[in-house]
Amino acid sequence: MPKILIADDSETITTLLTTALESNGYEVSVASDGHQAYQLGIDSEHDLAILDQLMPGLLGIEVIEKWREEGIETPVIILTGVDDERTAVESLDRGAVDYVRKPFRLPELLARIRQRI
Amino acid sequence: MTWARVLEWLGYGVLVYFIAMQAYILGLNLISTWALRRDHHLNRFGRVTEMLSSRTTPPVSIVIPAYNEVVGIVDSVRSMSLLKYPRIEIVIANDGSTDGTLEALIDAFKLEKVSIPYRAEVATAPVRAIYRGRGAVDITVIDKENGGRADALNAGLNAARYPYVLCTDADVIFEGDALMRAMTRVVEDRERTVAVGGNIRPINGSPVDLGHLVKAEVPKKLIPRMQMLEYLRTFLAARPAWSAMNALPLVSGAFGIWKRSAAIEVGGFTPGHMGEDMDMTMRLHRHHLKNRIPYRIVYEPTAVVWTEVPETARVLRRQRIRWHRGLIQAVREFLPMTFNPRYKVVGMLTWAANVLFEFIAPIIEFAGWFIIPLAWFLGVLNVEAFVWLLLLAFGMGLLNTLNALLLDESYGYFDTKTDTARLLVMALIENFGFRQLTVWWRIRAMLGGAAVKSWGNMERRGFVRSVSPPQAPPASSASRP
Amino acid sequence: MSLIEPIQFATLVVLVLNALGVAALIILKAINRSRRRRAEARKRSHMRLISRHVAFEHSTDPVPAKAATDPAFIDALIDVRNALAGSDLENLERLVARHGVVDELVSDLRRSFPKVKRLRAAMALAELADDEAVPVLLEHLDDREPEIRVQAARGLGRMKWTPAIDAIVARFGMETPWVRARFADTLIGFGSAATWPLVAYVTVNHRHETAGPVAAIRTLAAIGDDEAVKPLIEVLHAGADPEVAIAVIEALGHLENPMAAPVLRSATRDADWRIRAKAVTALGLLADTESLEDLAAALHDPEWWVRRNAAAALGVIPGGLDRLYEALTGRDHPASEAAIEALVDIGELAAARARIEEGNGRTRDHDLISVAEAGR
Repeated sequence: MPKILIADDSETITTLLTTALESNGYEVSVASDGHQAYQLGIDSEHDLAILDQLMPGLLGIEVIEKWREEGIETPVIILTGVDDERTAVESLDRGAVDYVRKPFRLPELLARIRQRI
Repeated sequence: MTWARVLEWLGYGVLVYFIAMQAYILGLNLISTWALRRDHHLNRFGRVTEMLSSRTTPPVSIVIPAYNEVVGIVDSVRSMSLLKYPRIEIVIANDGSTDGTLEALIDAFKLEKVSIPYRAEVATAPVRAIYRGRGAVDITVIDKENGGRADALNAGLNAARYPYVLCTDADVIFEGDALMRAMTRVVEDRERTVAVGGNIRPINGSPVDLGHLVKAEVPKKLIPRMQMLEYLRTFLAARPAWSAMNALPLVSGAFGIWKRSAAIEVGGFTPGHMGEDMDMTMRLHRHHLKNRIPYRIVYEPTAVVWTEVPETARVLRRQRIRWHRGLIQAVREFLPMTFNPRYKVVGMLTWAANVLFEFIAPIIEFAGWFIIPLAWFLGVLNVEAFVWLLLLAFGMGLLNTLNALLLDESYGYFDTKTDTARLLVMALIENFGFRQLTVWWRIRAMLGGAAVKSWGNMERRGFVRSVSPPQAPPASSASRP
Repeated sequence: MSLIEPIQFATLVVLVLNALGVAALIILKAINRSRRRRAEARKRSHMRLISRHVAFEHSTDPVPAKAATDPAFIDALIDVRNALAGSDLENLERLVARHGVVDELVSDLRRSFPKVKRLRAAMALAELADDEAVPVLLEHLDDREPEIRVQAARGLGRMKWTPAIDAIVARFGMETPWVRARFADTLIGFGSAATWPLVAYVTVNHRHETAGPVAAIRTLAAIGDDEAVKPLIEVLHAGADPEVAIAVIEALGHLENPMAAPVLRSATRDADWRIRAKAVTALGLLADTESLEDLAAALHDPEWWVRRNAAAALGVIPGGLDRLYEALTGRDHPASEAAIEALVDIGELAAARARIEEGNGRTRDHDLISVAEAGR
């Protein structure tokens, strides 16, 4: 069963994603801030991580950077705000494999996840 | 006329004063309760989400004066940059820090020197350089020579690009939607709103993680806990009433949104002022009332910022002396507005009450410490009446506190039994000792002298770690009899 | 003394009130505490349930019978809704329809009180944007509660119910700023369909009021429909109030339609400096090469703000750089300052410095060199 890490400080998003992903046959672990996400990524191996950009502690992009320094190459999809062009581009530059804008469409997100796993 | 006779008349005078003051506190409580109930339901329905997704929401510049803040500045900027709001920029005025504040910022936010135009619409101490962030956070840092908090705020005002400026401190913690909630009051009436104040709450003893409050708790130490009650009285049982009458005496420095153009029109903050927030608020009132320009200055209780309050008597003493000095400066400056019908509610009520019940009250209370024993000694004290009056004053004070606690309940911050018990017991015992100390500190502030000399540049910004929170003199809280 | 009795009486009353206050506080805290806990738990379980329904079109998880009347359910629904877009919303709508949520809310809104219930209903209807609610939302566009008017308009906007546009625009002038701003959001959501009603509103009203038309003009700019350009130019020609004129000029800049260039060029010579400042910026946005002369002239404007904006505009218009270099080495010091700032901003440092150094035969300007150097 592929393992996915979800990190977002909004409980709505994590609940929604957890429910959707679990029912699509993924194993999910959840973090609610940047440091927690970083730690979870270090502690166990994930097939994919979905990181919110705007989290307390570390930004999504910063989590990627710190993982890469530790040699963790988990592919990452970044969740960005509606009009945040800057983050979207920057996240790709800094090693994210993809980004998804909030509010998102579940089928689209699921398709992007399938593509990466 | 004998001494006894003089004392008797003095007694009547004090009685009248006492009744007026109680009526004033009661009035504030009643109006605050009404105003909070009136607005309460609005806050639960979508206003914040609507603002967040709107393209018409005005952008805001967050201005943070920083003097030797190397310890917490990076975390606080990060946490502020995460505030829920469509468009913000952060402007830090580094007020000649000597501890590497600037370097820490350069490092954390990838700052680069730029030559963007700096409009010196308000004169400040010389600006050395301007930096802009190249990372994800929209941040500008003005590196200037030391000039004090007000001067740094002015530099921030100058550099701010957006029409509304949130002035705050480097060591506060905002609730995520605080800015949004405060700005709903601006959007309600963009033409007229020139300032919005937020609700400041002591954070001492509550767990904090990554620049966010985990859970609000009643402070465990007594001194902050007493201040908690003061803050609740000020921000829930007094300010809402003033705001409802458009006669707010103070938009606190730790959370004040100012319309940039209005703040600049009255000349910016007054450098070196001990209460530059009250000064600015009152100057805005004066300017608009004098020139008959429609305006409003409002307070938003749901916009919450958390701040560390002094934990020791020594630090608290300095803070209170400084606040009272600020009040004295303000009383002197705005004395002509007192009971002046031209200034409407602000002159007839706000400032009059501020002078009568904040400025003069400690003098009367202090005098009472000597006159009452004297009267008793001379045999002219009606002991029975005095005891009943004392009890009445105590009861009224307690009622004020209880009302504030009841009003606070609707926000649901404290709900364990221990918290409730702690607050109630504190409400009883604060009258014995703490209250007398604050009176003495105010008297000490009026006496001037030695304490004045030590108010150098360092002193104004430098005690405890970082800035003495320049918020809310519970002056104008009218919290006590 | 006769004073004692009233004091005693007052004291006793106050002490009794205190006792009542303490009791009320303790009881209230206990009640609220358990209520909050329960509501949180309910919301969380509702959220999981709703998530399952959204993720699976054919989810068979049962929804509690009374969900439609439970504020926690509505809250959860709204939270999930806000996180989603597109086809997921259809699943959500199906869930809503199946459980009579809308009927329940409509009857709540139609009541005359309590206010809180009506507000909650209006907001939920707007969030759910279900077609069934159209009539009731139209009815409540002029509700006595401002917040309900806002929600009614928002709901209609979310459904793209274009017949509502006229009714919303008609209320623009009489609304409070808050409601107007929210109406503007709704109209922006409608897109081009709202252009003509807004244009008509501005044309008719700009002479006798400002706040409404200014908001309408900003809304037009945000919609971005070129149809608005011509009528807006007409408003300028008709000699609008300065506030309105500023809004129009900003809007014309945003719309980036070359048709507006001539009127903007003449606005660079307006008596009001705020209008001049906005006009030069707008010309920059239009990237209109024919305006180079006017922008170069604006570099010598007495107002700092106009010079600065003109320089910035020249920095982005083809051929504008030459004008900036001219100003740089000219005799007018304020103009050269504006020019160097613009050049530094767009990264033309080396060239700028070289020009100053050689000075075109005139004295070197050390101030300018240091500005250029400060920009690295």
